[in-house]
Amino acid sequence: MTRIAIDPITRLEGHGKIEIFLDEAGEVNNCYFQVPELRGFEVFCLGRPAEEMPRLTSRICGVCPEAHHMAAAKALDALYHVDPPPAAKKLRELLYSAFFVTDHATHFYALGGPDFVVGPDAPAAERNILGVIAKVGLEIGGKVIAARKRNHQVIEMIGGRTIHPVSALPGGMSHAITEEERQEIVKIARQNVEFGQFSIDLFEQVVLHNQAYVDLITSDAYTQRTYYMGLVDHNNHVNFYDGVVRVVNPEGVEFASYMPDQYAQHIAEHVEPWTYLKFPYLRKVGWKGFVDGKDSGVYCATPLSRLNAADGMATSLAQAEYERMYEVLGGKPVHHTLATHWARLVELLYAAERMLELAQDPEVASPNVRTLPDQKPTEGVGIVEAPRGTLTHHYFTDENGILQEVNLIVGTTNNHAPIFMSIKRAAEGLIHKGVVNDGILNRIEMAFRSYDPCLSCATHSLPGQMPLEVIVRDCTGAVTHHLSQYVPPESLDRCVG
Amino acid sequence: MPLRTLVVGLGNPILSDDGIGWQVEEALRRQGAGSAPEAAIDILHACVGGLALAELMTGYDRVIVVDAIVTGQALPGTVSHFTLADLPGTLNSSSSHDTSLRLALQMLRACGAHVPPESAVAFVAVEAQDVWTFGEACTPAVKQSIGAAAAVVAHLLRAPLY
Repeated sequence: MTRIAIDPITRLEGHGKIEIFLDEAGEVNNCYFQVPELRGFEVFCLGRPAEEMPRLTSRICGVCPEAHHMAAAKALDALYHVDPPPAAKKLRELLYSAFFVTDHATHFYALGGPDFVVGPDAPAAERNILGVIAKVGLEIGGKVIAARKRNHQVIEMIGGRTIHPVSALPGGMSHAITEEERQEIVKIARQNVEFGQFSIDLFEQVVLHNQAYVDLITSDAYTQRTYYMGLVDHNNHVNFYDGVVRVVNPEGVEFASYMPDQYAQHIAEHVEPWTYLKFPYLRKVGWKGFVDGKDSGVYCATPLSRLNAADGMATSLAQAEYERMYEVLGGKPVHHTLATHWARLVELLYAAERMLELAQDPEVASPNVRTLPDQKPTEGVGIVEAPRGTLTHHYFTDENGILQEVNLIVGTTNNHAPIFMSIKRAAEGLIHKGVVNDGILNRIEMAFRSYDPCLSCATHSLPGQMPLEVIVRDCTGAVTHHLSQYVPPESLDRCVG
Repeated sequence: MPLRTLVVGLGNPILSDDGIGWQVEEALRRQGAGSAPEAAIDILHACVGGLALAELMTGYDRVIVVDAIVTGQALPGTVSHFTLADLPGTLNSSSSHDTSLRLALQMLRACGAHVPPESAVAFVAVEAQDVWTFGEACTPAVKQSIGAAAAVVAHLLRAPLY
């Protein structure tokens, strides 16, 4: 038996890292952030049949497989020049709405919410879902567990599996749902609407009734004026599954509106020497560096961005909350990054209402869920809104449907530049004269957390969470502060097999 | 009532060595582990973490998770085993989209769900060489450890409780 230490921080690439460099006066000089990047997905796909993509891409990460599944299915519809029957589109959107309810709820209660419910200066060990339960009551945990469970049931009913759905195919879905299942989903959707309203009420009580939090949300440290992107329907209302991509400028005026297959005319990617991450920007504005404003091509694609880029919500309760949010925060667009948490809850309510609408439509139980492709495949782009931002899949194949080229722009990638800028701005606003403490570092991390960044590969890493370090260095480069999510490692017994 | 046991081969099957959990699960199935109904052993594979993994454990008295691990302190293919109770504390919130397994289990327990205690959540971990490159095959050293990891799982299954 030998002894080893398990210390995730020792993993070379396996953790996110924010490094803040101070100048001689102890003010922020510069800031960097790094996250792990998986390699070679595009190459892995080449030479495979395109119809494998909904199944393969959903394996990219354990957090939003449903989003990749849907974007891939839509890219295949385009690739095979096939239009799925209405029931198939509705079924896909129904599954997708259940997924959004689950995903947004998990983020709010487990991750973003604790900063507000428990407090940004509370000890790190309490800023978690157990802290939320301790403060708000045990029944809140039960509500979150029940919401996840019932929506996983819906995903399994329609998607064939609970976590990694397999049912979307080029031209539609592999199977229909029964009338009994439809009625069951109606009941679940009603519970979701109640849960969505409950969540917004909780946010109102805990956050909006606390002036200190409202001041925090609207403070300069968490404010930046960028372009905003999101999918909208024909009424310019938010839609997660389908529509055109709309971009508004920092004043809220429409800048672009494009179909998925035009994305390359609008989006370009900037690279920096210090990171493998790419920084997408608006091609027609241009890359001007990590700066905000109308002259900079940096755009944001988040729940708040989607609300900013749209004219409203397609369902009544969510629309009322949408209007209230903009009224309280002083009109559109809202540039306060932390308001993303509020926007996420407006979206949660919309997803629940949309799910109810779709489930109440008898056509959703129609057996006609597939149009068989009969044309040669060529090229296809599919875009959906993933919880973390606009998700683009683009495939080229030969005439046998074998993949020749693959390009993906995933949700979090859109936001790399804004995340970087948000961290820097928060650090600049909060660190002065070299004074740093855990509360300040957590507030810097809150800027990062509001984006709900998906650091895909690490989602199931032992011991089960993504490590993040925040390191502060003085003007000589020496580390003056170090915050990590881990207590010092203990040693573990090992048996060598 | 026999103890209800779950064996989970955990990982991403298209991320090189991260797929080792699935391959060990497959080996265990071939060996017939858990096939006797009276054993009350369920074996499955999954690619989830945090809350979703904890939810999978609901209703079980003990769980064995087979996964890849990167410590950088052992040769690739080295097999370790430990329980969740042995792991360093990770009670904090984190910046990925999920909460830690420990926290998720605590939450489920607090809300009345039947989940195993930390001392009954065992990990059989294989030191990985590459969990960053997409590919369906494990690196050679890791692949060679499938039998050893399956043997450790079989050994743990024979133990009354950790």
